[in-house]
Amino acid sequence: MVKIVEVKSVTKDFGGDGIITRALRGVDLDLTAGEFTSMAGPSGSGKTTLLNIIGGLDKPTSGTVSIEGREIHQLSAGQLSRLRRDRIGFIFQSYNLIPVLTAYENAEYVLMIQNVEKEERRERVLRVLKEVGLEGLEHRFPRELSGGQQQRVAIARAIAPEPALILADEPTANVDSETAGSLMDLLRRLNEEKGMTFLFSTHDQAVMRRAGRLIRLQDGCIIEDNLQTGRS
Amino acid sequence: MIFRVAWRSIWRNRRRTLITAASIALGLIIAIFFIAMAEGVYEQIVNDGVRMQAGHITLENPDYQMAPAIDLRIGDVENIRKFIKKIEAVEEAKLLIWGQGVANSGAGAVGVSIMGVEPAVETKNSPLARDIVAGSYLAEEDDRKVVLGEHLAKELKLGLGNKIVITTNNARGELVEELCRVKGIFRTGSDEIDGYFIQIPLNFARKVFGLQADEATQLGVILKRPQDQPPVMEEIKSTLTNKNIEVLPWQQILPEVASYIRIDRVSNWVFQGLLFVIILFTILNTLLMSVMEREREFAVLLALGTPVRKLKGQLFLESVFIGCLGCFAGLILGGLAAFALQIRGLDLAFLMPEGVTISGFAMSTTVHALVTPPVFLWTGGIVLGAMLLLSLLIMRRIKKISLAETLR
Repeated sequence: MVKIVEVKSVTKDFGGDGIITRALRGVDLDLTAGEFTSMAGPSGSGKTTLLNIIGGLDKPTSGTVSIEGREIHQLSAGQLSRLRRDRIGFIFQSYNLIPVLTAYENAEYVLMIQNVEKEERRERVLRVLKEVGLEGLEHRFPRELSGGQQQRVAIARAIAPEPALILADEPTANVDSETAGSLMDLLRRLNEEKGMTFLFSTHDQAVMRRAGRLIRLQDGCIIEDNLQTGRS
Repeated sequence: MIFRVAWRSIWRNRRRTLITAASIALGLIIAIFFIAMAEGVYEQIVNDGVRMQAGHITLENPDYQMAPAIDLRIGDVENIRKFIKKIEAVEEAKLLIWGQGVANSGAGAVGVSIMGVEPAVETKNSPLARDIVAGSYLAEEDDRKVVLGEHLAKELKLGLGNKIVITTNNARGELVEELCRVKGIFRTGSDEIDGYFIQIPLNFARKVFGLQADEATQLGVILKRPQDQPPVMEEIKSTLTNKNIEVLPWQQILPEVASYIRIDRVSNWVFQGLLFVIILFTILNTLLMSVMEREREFAVLLALGTPVRKLKGQLFLESVFIGCLGCFAGLILGGLAAFALQIRGLDLAFLMPEGVTISGFAMSTTVHALVTPPVFLWTGGIVLGAMLLLSLLIMRRIKKISLAETLR
């Protein structure tokens, strides 16, 4: 199996006013291609910190993180930026769409900075918007969409460049349980159809049950890492 | 896409964008209006000064400037005038005989500046000929007639037709006295001119000062456009063979006027500059705010893999858009205001009921602006350049964004 993510002995300390808080304490984690993994744990357990470090948004205090075999914190700022653009998709809790761009333009954004040809961009953006159920809403701005629809745009933006890994930080936290269920079904379907590797954090039990693999964090340590029955 | 995001971003907070653009426009309107007004005043001073005295370019004896004396005259003036009048940029060439003397009447004696002029030429050009308040200006056929300032007439208790005796030294150093009659009294508003100047016809002046028919102390060249002064001076210098004639710009003939304009122009630009620095701080503040409140959005764009230079480019474009908007509005409105002032003028008599003189020249209280392309180019260029410099300062914030902290 191809290893997409390899986390080795990662620690992360936050300092301030002379007090050091250890957010991660020697985390080891491997994700292979096509995995659909959920990270659970109480607030402050280190879920977001681990996602940020894996996504190259933050640096570990010690330890290493590799994406598709490249140790990401050895990369230059430009190389890391290109790695995020080409190989990692992000889905945020509060959607974080660009408010001045339409749903279509938001989904198109990463393809644009990848310099994908206009025709190909158009074909891919329309396809992913259809896949996430936003057909007909392409020209709406984020403010004209519901929370669930905005998160679907964020998902479309994340999958349009066809990255190897999608990191999602509490993707269903800001939507009702019914919408959360349908969003998770969507992510699961995309995982199965496209073979992308998903790693998401959540508090929601229903969401956790949909994951193929469930990791539990507590006080910066992985305390449980299980494959779930009937899931891969 | 960056272009689109930048354009739409500036309209996200429409009020802030409009206030920023309005600040730029206001700064430009003030700058253009006051600079154009000052340039108009300068042009008026220069125009009145050179037309009343010895032109934009003056030909005189090389020693005359240091010690003006009637024997320091130039000859062959008609031939020189003929050649000068053929130059395309020249509007007029006038002869002057300028000496010092004493004006006597039954009421007393006063030291005066005696100016021998060509009445027809002065009537066309000199503001003094238009400022006659009693009697009339000199005519070509006049002999032994003078026009003098209102203050001088009062001091010597002279009215129209009264006798006045001019006492002076002629070119041979002999004392001469000539009896004349007052033909006209002028009021320019300048104590210096109204209390010290008398004008007499050129031919009579030659008789008084003992000059030959082809002699004068100065030959003044009036140009159609003042900015043609350097090339015309060069042309005259290159053609003149008489080494006893010096070609001088009006700035050397009227140095106090030139100094006043230079100092006033610099202080005006400094004042406008200070005003604009204050406005720039306001603009910097609003631009900075617009970046700080969008830090999360920038963090998202960076997280998605947007290169830092593209984000900087977006901020640069936003500044360019706002700067262009403000400059466009400022140049149009400032230009219209200045142009209206150029056409209609602004009467400031209510602020200066006693009139105003600058470097001894009376100014009309109605001020006209002078709108020239350099005013627009300089002010617009400086403002846009300052905006772009500000955007460089703003861009530096992009590098300081911590992705993990901002997105938390």
